[in-house]
Amino acid sequence: MEGSNTYLIRPNHQYKFKPAIVKECIREIVRERLSGMLYDPEEVPELSRSLADGIKDKVKNAGFDRYKLVVQVVIGEQRGQGVKMSSRCLWDADTDNYAEDVFMNDSLFCVVAVFGSYYY
Amino acid sequence: MEEYPNGNEGSFNSEEADGVVKECIEAVVGGDDYSVNQVNKWTASIVERCLTQLVKQGKPYKYIVTCAVMQKTGAGLHTANSCYWDTAVDGSCTVRWENRTMYCVVSVFAVAIP
Repeated sequence: MEGSNTYLIRPNHQYKFKPAIVKECIREIVRERLSGMLYDPEEVPELSRSLADGIKDKVKNAGFDRYKLVVQVVIGEQRGQGVKMSSRCLWDADTDNYAEDVFMNDSLFCVVAVFGSYYY
Repeated sequence: MEEYPNGNEGSFNSEEADGVVKECIEAVVGGDDYSVNQVNKWTASIVERCLTQLVKQGKPYKYIVTCAVMQKTGAGLHTANSCYWDTAVDGSCTVRWENRTMYCVVSVFAVAIP
């Protein structure tokens, strides 16, 4: 992370974390990597890790200055089971935000959430 | 002279958070079986409780808590995360919990407030 303090307590609008743009980043990568993919327990650990890394890199390069990023990827097998995901954050609602996207095919589902926290 | 906290004091204690999260899951779900009608309430109360407990520790952190509950039908589930932050002060912990009918995975991310 960049070190020095800027004493800016709010990001300029152009550098602000924009959920719609991040959602597009997630969607693009996930669709590209998972379309037509079958759930394979051997492959998924590596896949989920590289997906998380890929999305982090992409969002990192999307120009959200001074944002710390948390990317979470959940991949599960589709067997008609019930799944529920929730999240809750304690943060600065003025500057911090999140984006999420869900991908599903016949064999697997994938939920990605990206949280951006402004570094003052 | 002003005293500055040493490096350790400021860093995130993931073992402590681990304990907090486990207690919250036990308290909310305990031995109950998976139920469609309850699962919304469960995930909401788990994240809420974890957050409340973490905030009580009074540390200068922003917190992100996520919780996934999945019914056991033999299906696999994987989670991965990747963070861009200051590893010296920020931290995370992930707890995997299960009972007879469901899996529960809770992740806590703590982002230091400078």
